[in-house]
Amino acid sequence: MNVFIVETDKTGLQKFYKEIIGKFETYAPVEKFGKYDYKKVSKLDECDPDSPIEMTMSVKPLFFPKTAKVMKFREDNTGTTVSETDEDPLTGQRVILGVKHCDARGLQVLDQVYKWDYIDTDYQKRRENTLIISTRCDKAGTQCFCTSLDYDVENSDAHDIRIVNGLDGKIYIQAVTQKGEGFVKENLSQQSAVGSQQSLEEIKKHYQLFEASFRLKMNYSEVNAKLQKLFDSLEFETVSSNCISCNTCAFICPTCHCFKITDEKIKDTGVRYKSYDSCNNGYFTLMAGGHNPRPVKYRRWRQRALHKFVYYKERFGMNLCVGCGHCAISCPVNISIFDVVNQVAKI
Amino acid sequence: MDYSKQIQEIASKLFAENKIDYFVGYKQNSFDDSQVPFLITDPAEIPKLVFTDRSVFNLANYLKPDHTKRKRVGLVVKGCDSRALNLMLTESQVKRENVYIIGICCEGVLNEKGEKAQNCVECVMPDPVVYDEMIGTPTGKREYKVNVDIRELATKALEERADYFESIFENCIRCNACRHSCPLCYCAKCCLDQETSTLYHGANTSSGAMHALMTWSLHLAGRCVDCRNCEKACPSHLPLHLLHKQNESVIYENFQQHLAGMEKDDRGAFYKYSLSDPDDFIL
Amino acid sequence: METEVKEAQGKIISAENPDITAPADWQPVIMGILCNWCSYAGSDLTGTSRIQYPPNIRIIRVPCSSRVDPWFIIKSLQTTADGVLISGCHPGDCHYISGNYYARRRFLVTKKLLNFVGYHENRIQFSWVSAAEGPKFAKVVAKVTEDIKKLGPLHRYKKENF
Ligand code: SF4
Ligand code: SF4
Ligand code: SF4
Ligand code: SF4
Ligand code: SF4
Repeated sequence: MNVFIVETDKTGLQKFYKEIIGKFETYAPVEKFGKYDYKKVSKLDECDPDSPIEMTMSVKPLFFPKTAKVMKFREDNTGTTVSETDEDPLTGQRVILGVKHCDARGLQVLDQVYKWDYIDTDYQKRRENTLIISTRCDKAGTQCFCTSLDYDVENSDAHDIRIVNGLDGKIYIQAVTQKGEGFVKENLSQQSAVGSQQSLEEIKKHYQLFEASFRLKMNYSEVNAKLQKLFDSLEFETVSSNCISCNTCAFICPTCHCFKITDEKIKDTGVRYKSYDSCNNGYFTLMAGGHNPRPVKYRRWRQRALHKFVYYKERFGMNLCVGCGHCAISCPVNISIFDVVNQVAKI
Repeated sequence: MDYSKQIQEIASKLFAENKIDYFVGYKQNSFDDSQVPFLITDPAEIPKLVFTDRSVFNLANYLKPDHTKRKRVGLVVKGCDSRALNLMLTESQVKRENVYIIGICCEGVLNEKGEKAQNCVECVMPDPVVYDEMIGTPTGKREYKVNVDIRELATKALEERADYFESIFENCIRCNACRHSCPLCYCAKCCLDQETSTLYHGANTSSGAMHALMTWSLHLAGRCVDCRNCEKACPSHLPLHLLHKQNESVIYENFQQHLAGMEKDDRGAFYKYSLSDPDDFIL
Repeated sequence: METEVKEAQGKIISAENPDITAPADWQPVIMGILCNWCSYAGSDLTGTSRIQYPPNIRIIRVPCSSRVDPWFIIKSLQTTADGVLISGCHPGDCHYISGNYYARRRFLVTKKLLNFVGYHENRIQFSWVSAAEGPKFAKVVAKVTEDIKKLGPLHRYKKENF
């Protein structure tokens, strides 16, 4: 754990943000239709890095966009020619402000699947070229449960820099990774107050208060252990009874990574797209020939719950759910994966 | 408006007389005063049923076979929900003998901010139009008002409107929650599902969203009952009512003041015609 | 909701995006969706009677004007077309008795909604043309082409840039 800390105050932080926005391509939470979403910004007053926890979308679309061109094709009488798309040159440094800790962790989890098997170069490039500045929440949201899972929220290194609103009125800018340290040293002009052990204590104090504010707490290892044997549980039917099988929960989840491939054509040229898909969608497992192994919604919800809490952990050693609670907030009928796994595991 | 007691009594009676297999009502969320739809098959769960001015969902949506498997259902409906149910009955989506309808004379529900929801302020029919049992005092049909947002947008210039709608379509993530939450969107294979329209608009692009939302609203024109279940479901909080209310106002003005689902056996505005329909826009 | 058509010297300005312009000799592409029994036969008659009409229209034949789902129109406008013309039998003459009466209702609502979200209303036009009205078909196509030419190229919501 890196302990390079800079102490500053509200105006100092604002100045830091402004400098970043002036120098780099910056993304930050922006309000639209009453909900927050990470969007490109050119001025600090356009965005709110201290946005409320209830975001419409996670930070995922900046790395794995809701739709991306995979290739272009053209058909003529000589056959089909395939070409690269003009999408995203992916050069230059990007900075994202105001990322929630859970969202940042979500990226770490996503990394596993993107560097396994097939290496998605677009994703890797976006990851390498992005610096993540995270703001620690002061208080947990109603649906948050990040502290109950298999990762250490306090000492997380999923972000490069974290910003903590200390209880003593000071603001602490802490570099967590090497990359973050270099960035702070380079871009923060007033470095007078380099923090010490004292500041670490303050950050810890802030964390304790934050941790105490959680409404939802679970015993992760017990849930995980029990769920492993509960594939045939009938409880899945009860917990999913009011799910309407929309795709919302997967689309807004920071770690869901399923996608579908579609071709679209106008005249003789076309584009192959890759866009989000969700296992809650009734067509998700429909096969050519008409067989669908998950025709009813409780089986689809079982896949969702077990992929999140069992399968991914088995394969990659990380829980696929990071406890952000986005799904419960955005779900039309407020189904929370927290309730689902606890109810199924009967804890 | 708190009818929890009455609903619980009716539900226990129905289960006791073995008249229903499912009961669909509302349940209080544990974390705040909002509610969620609640499907029960076990009479032991009845005490959890509630109904207040936070009971915002259109439960007729749960009559789709995915949810209640064409079994016998006891259902709580408000005025707008009952209009949707009326259409579902007319369109043969449910059998009348399979639903036991508890109609509520609605006094309006609250939106997220705790104010009376816009569609309730503009509601034309707060009383149930189809029911087996009615709770509350009917207040009768009200006058139709053109939606305020529509009137405001209509005064804006074309470009301005287009810019506004572009931002709506850009923010759509094409999750299809709007479609799945609408009781009148029941097609088993939807022409907008990305799996069935891959060759044209399968991707989650903005133009795909525009195509999907416009087609969707036009397939619901003359049928939409303004329950706003779609809008409540949308994770991007898009003002989807603009599309529906625009269609509704054109239909009301031009086609004998048609409002969807108000009468028994009344089909949507596009399932009938009049010889005197406006013709002046046709060359 | 009437929007004025803008004109500039020697250039056509797109009605929906003022920053999109086209040279004065720009030719629009118009999607024509014609019913099999009247309008398509009518357009045939135009041809066999050797009446000239603008070549901007690309014709598709459908069984009846009520076969036209609104998304045909939306798809046309999103891909290649700058405007759409839909034509069917005169009221009372529908081969399927009442198809065009149903269609008429849908057309009105579709036209109004498309205008509401930002298409100039002249981009979507409808006509009744019978099998005997060859000259009328030519006139209708000429008028629609003329109207759409004034509106300039359609850029809003086009698939390639939205
Ligand atoms: S499943 Fe829900 S709580 Fe878990 S990471 Fe996804 S959106 Fe967040
Ligand atoms: S939970 Fe479903 S949508 Fe999400 S990654 Fe797993 S299979 Fe895909
Ligand atoms: S968001 Fe909610 S209703 Fe939609 S699929 Fe997920 S759990 Fe079901
Ligand atoms: S619910 Fe909202 S975001 Fe989802 S498809 Fe419908 S309009 Fe788009
Ligand atoms: S379109 Fe929306 S408002 Fe209209 S009936 Fe369906 S859910 Fe209700």
